[in-house]
Amino acid sequence: MNRRTALLAVPALLVSGCFAGGGDSTDDAADRLRVALPFPPVAALSPWTDDALLLTRMGAAETLVTFEASGAAEPQLAESWEFVDDRTAVLELRDDVVFHDGTPMDAEAVAGSLNAAAAADPGLRVLRDVGLVATAVDTDTVQVQAAQADPLLVQRLGAPSLVVLSSDAYTDPAAPDPVGHGTGPYAITDVQGVQSATLDAAADYWGGPPAADGVDVRFVDDADSRTSSLRAGELDVVQGVPIAQLATLTDEQRVVTTSLPRVTALQLNTADGVFADPALRAAAVAAVDAGPVVDGVVEGQADVAPGLLTDDTLGAAVRTAPTLPAAGDPAGASIRLATYDDRPELPEAAAVLAEQLRAAGFTVEVVVQTYATLEPDLLAGAFDAVLGSRLTLLDTGDPVGYFATDFTCDGGYNLARLCDPAVDAAVAAAAALTDPRERRQAAADLEAQVLSTGAVVPVLHEQSRTGVARGVQGVGADPFERQVVTVATTTGR
Amino acid sequence: MTTALLGRLPRAAGVLGALAGTALLVGALPWLSGADPARSVLRARDVEGTPDAAALEAVRRQLDLPADPVTGTLGFLGRLLTGDLGTSWVSRTPVADTVLPALGVSLTVAGAASLLALLLAGLLTVPALLRAADGRLRGGGPGAAVGGALSALPEFVLAVLLVAVLAVGWGLLPTTGFTGPEHLVLPALALGVPAAGVLARLLAGAVAATAGESWVRTWRAAGVRRSAVATALGRRAVAVVVPQILLLLVGTLGAAAVVEAVFDIPGLGGTALRAALSQDVPVVQAAVVLLVATGLLVGGGGVLVHRLVLGPARTGSGFTPEAAAGRRRPQRAAGVVAGLLLLAVLAGLLRDPTAQDVDLRLAPPSWAHPLGADPLGRDVLARFGHGALLSVGLAVVLSALTLVVGLAAGLLGRGDRSGPADVLNALPAVVVGIVVAAVTGPGLLAACVAVTLVGWIPLAVHARTLAVEARASGFHVAAVAGGAGRWHVVRRHLLPVVGPPVLRHALVRVPHASLALAGLSFLGLGAGAESPEWGRALAETTGYLERAPWVVGAPAAGLVLLGVVAALADPAPER
Repeated sequence: MNRRTALLAVPALLVSGCFAGGGDSTDDAADRLRVALPFPPVAALSPWTDDALLLTRMGAAETLVTFEASGAAEPQLAESWEFVDDRTAVLELRDDVVFHDGTPMDAEAVAGSLNAAAAADPGLRVLRDVGLVATAVDTDTVQVQAAQADPLLVQRLGAPSLVVLSSDAYTDPAAPDPVGHGTGPYAITDVQGVQSATLDAAADYWGGPPAADGVDVRFVDDADSRTSSLRAGELDVVQGVPIAQLATLTDEQRVVTTSLPRVTALQLNTADGVFADPALRAAAVAAVDAGPVVDGVVEGQADVAPGLLTDDTLGAAVRTAPTLPAAGDPAGASIRLATYDDRPELPEAAAVLAEQLRAAGFTVEVVVQTYATLEPDLLAGAFDAVLGSRLTLLDTGDPVGYFATDFTCDGGYNLARLCDPAVDAAVAAAAALTDPRERRQAAADLEAQVLSTGAVVPVLHEQSRTGVARGVQGVGADPFERQVVTVATTTGR
Repeated sequence: MTTALLGRLPRAAGVLGALAGTALLVGALPWLSGADPARSVLRARDVEGTPDAAALEAVRRQLDLPADPVTGTLGFLGRLLTGDLGTSWVSRTPVADTVLPALGVSLTVAGAASLLALLLAGLLTVPALLRAADGRLRGGGPGAAVGGALSALPEFVLAVLLVAVLAVGWGLLPTTGFTGPEHLVLPALALGVPAAGVLARLLAGAVAATAGESWVRTWRAAGVRRSAVATALGRRAVAVVVPQILLLLVGTLGAAAVVEAVFDIPGLGGTALRAALSQDVPVVQAAVVLLVATGLLVGGGGVLVHRLVLGPARTGSGFTPEAAAGRRRPQRAAGVVAGLLLLAVLAGLLRDPTAQDVDLRLAPPSWAHPLGADPLGRDVLARFGHGALLSVGLAVVLSALTLVVGLAAGLLGRGDRSGPADVLNALPAVVVGIVVAAVTGPGLLAACVAVTLVGWIPLAVHARTLAVEARASGFHVAAVAGGAGRWHVVRRHLLPVVGPPVLRHALVRVPHASLALAGLSFLGLGAGAESPEWGRALAETTGYLERAPWVVGAPAAGLVLLGVVAALADPAPER
C-alpha cells in the first residue's frame, strides 16, 4: 500500500465505523407498532424519574389506580379500595395479574414495590412528607398508611412514579430496572441506550391479548423530526406533533387531540419592580387578550383559558369572577418578559403579548432562553413577567397542590413571588378537605382568590396531539398523557 | 536520542496541560454559572417537579459534589488514569456507556461529511485547475462564486430541506435514526455541503495564486503535459485545505448538536449539549476530554499530512510564492449581486418591521407584503431590511476581529505544530457559550466574544499553512540569511503572501459569523428575542420551511447573496 492509498483508507475506516444498535431490526412479518415518544430516558428508565411516563406510555408498566378526566381515581391494578381511617386505606388487587417475568402480582409484591418507592432517595415528589407504609394483608389485599391524615392517599397511587414492578426489579435499591418486570400489555425486552426500546406483547395480560405483536419505541427529541418520520411512513404513532407541522400532514396521517390540564399563563412578579404595584398588575391583566394567541399563534389548537384550571378539572364546581383593583397608568414603565423556547409556541405567544402590553403603555423587553439556563433566574425573580406552561393536575389528579407550589409564600415554584397570608390560609384549608366535590369547589374559590391578586394571567389551556398513521386505531387519549400505546392499539396493517 | 526525547517533553506536557485545563474549565461550570448543580440535576430527572430544599439536599448528598472545581477535576483526572470515566450525575449510569458510542457515531458522521466536503470542493475546483494549466485562469474561477454561495447555506436549514425533499417527499432515504449506512447520507450532505463551499473558495484562491508562480509558465513553455501541470497545481492547492478539512472533522464532532437533533443521531454534540445544560459535569468532562484528545491527535496528524503532501520542497527553498501583483478589479457580478441585495434592503428599511397582525400569519407574498408575512404576521421584507444592518454589520465586525487574531496567531506562532487552536476547535460551542455567558453575562457582546474565540482558528491554521510555504521560499531564506529581523520578515515577506488569501477566507466566513451568533441565542446570547437579525430569524422559523418557504427563504437568500458578494468582491488578481 503506498502512501496515497494509506491516506485514502483513513476516511473509509471512519465511514464504516459506528452505527447505533437499532430497535427496528425485527422481521417484517410481525405486526409491530412503531412509536416515537418525545424525550429520551434520563435515568435508564428508572420509574423514580420522569422516565416513569415513558414506561406508562409504552404500555410497559401500570399503577394501582388511574384517573378520569376530572382527576378522580379509577381502578386499574387495584379493583377497589376503602379508607379505614383518615390516614389508612385498604386496596383489593386484581387476582389475574402476572408480571412480565412470570411471577404473580400479589400483595407482597405490591407492598414491596410501594415501600421501595417510599424509601427512594431523593424522595419522590408524590410521596414527599407522606411517610407511606404498605403492608400485605392477605394475597390480594394491601394496606397503605400515611404518617398523618391524607385525603389524597389513594390518589397518590396513580402517580406514574408508583408503577408496580416485580421484586426482581429492585435488585439495585437505588435504580429499579423495569426491563421485563412490569405488568402492562407489552413487556420490554431490550433497551438501546437513550435511542430506542423493544417490547413484545405480554400474552397473559390481564386486560386480554394485546392487539399488536410488539412495539418498537424510539425516543426522538426533536418534534419536527418525529413528524417527518410519521409523514415518511417510518412510524405509526408519534406523540407531540408541533402545531407548525399540522398543516404538512396528509390523508395518510391523522391527529388524536386531547385537552390537557395544562395552563399557559403570564406570571407577574408581585415582589419587585413594576408589578409590585397591584394597579399596574391590573393594567397588565386588562391588556392581555388571549384571542390572537389562540387563533393565531397556536392556530386554534388550544382553548382560551377561562381560569387557571380547566372546566374538566372543576366539573360541577362554580367559578367566581375575580375582582381586581382599578387599573393604573403604566406611563411607559419598563418591564422584562421572559419565556423559554423548549415549547416552540411560547416565544411567539410572548411576542404577541408583549405587543399587547406595549399598546397598553408598557415598555417591554422580551427575553427568550432555553429553560435549563433560564430557571435559576426565574426562581430568583429576575424578571417582571414570565410566560410559562404548567400542569395544574400533577401526580395526584388534585388541583390544590398546584396552588400550594405556585402561589404560597413557601411554594417551590412561585414565579409570581406571591406571598399573601389569606391565600396561604385558604390553600391550607382546601388541602385538608376530604370530600372530592368540596375540594374542587375550594379549588375554584382559590383560583378566583389568586386571580384577584393579579399575580397571574391565564392565557390558554393546551391540548396534546398524537399523530398516527391512517390505519392505526386505539391510541390512548389521556388528559394526563400517560397512556399512548394501549392493549387496544392496532397498526391497521 | 536523549536530546530528542527531552525536546519532546515540553510538548507532551503541553498536551497533558491542555487536557487537564479543559477538564478544569468544565469542572468549574457550576461555579462559573452560579447555578446550583443539584437543582439542574433534579430538574433534568423531574421536569415538572418543585425543587424544594429537602430534595436538593438529598441530591447533593448523593452526588457527593466536590467542594471546589480543583478537587473535583483532580478526582476526575485520577479516575481517568485508571480508565474510569466516572458516573453520570443525572442518570447514575457509567459515563463511558454514553460517551464512547456517541464519539463513534460522531466520528462516523463527521468523517463522512469531511470526505464529502473534500470531494465536492475538489470537483468544483477541477475547471479552474484545467484553465490554470492552460494559463487561461482569470480570478478565482466559478468555484469561487459557487463556493461562496454554498458556504453561506445554514446547516440546519439545509438539513430540514433535505429531510423534506429527499426523505419525506421522494422517499429515497430514511428521515431519522442511525442504524445503517443509509442514515449517513443526509447528515453528511447537510454538514458537508456548506463546508465544501468554504473549501472550494479556498481551493480556488490557492489555485489562482499558484497559477501565477513562474514555474507554471516554465513548465508550459517546456511543453509539459496539461494533466501533469494540473496535478502539480492541485497538489499545492490541496496542501492548503488539508489542515482545514481536519479542523472541520474535529470541529463537527462536538458541535453538530442541531443537525444531530434534526436527524435524531445519538452523537456527541447532542450528548454534550444535554449534559452541559443539566450541569452533568462528569459527562461533559468526559466528552470534552475525549474531544480535545481527538482534536490534538488529528491536529498533529494534519501537520504530518501537510508535510507529506508538500514533500521535500518544504525543507529547501523550493517555493516561489509571489505576492499579489497587478491591478485588482472586483468582478462585475459582485457589483450586480451587491446592488440587488442593497435594493431589497432599502425597500425593507422603508417598511415597519414590528407591526404584528396575526390574521396575516404566514401569509404568502402579495402586493401588500412582497415577501409574505412571518408567523406573527409581520412583513418579511421589512424584517429582512432591518435585519440586514445588524446581520451584515455584526458579521463584518466579527470577521475582521477573527481575521486580526487569526493572522497574528498564524504568523507570529513559531513552527507548524498544533496548539491552543486545536484545543479550542474541539470544544463544543455550547460549552464555550456557557462559559462566556457565565463570565460576561448574557447579551450581544458575550455572543461576539464566544464566536471570536472559536472563529479565528480556521484563519490561523490557514495563515500557518501558507506561512510554512512562504518560509520555505527562496526570498524568505535569503532574507533570514541576510539577517533581517523577525518583524521585518513578517511584514515584508510573509504578510504580502499570506494576507490576501486569508482575507478572502475571512470574507467567505462572514455569513458563518451571523449563523454562529444565532446558534447561541438559546443560551440568551446574541441578538434579542424580537430582533430581525437574519440568523435569529432563521433559527426561529426553520420549522415553517415547508409551509411558508418565504419566511425562511428571505434571510437564507440574504446570507447566500452575502456569501457570493464576499467571494467575488476580492478575486485573485488578474495577470
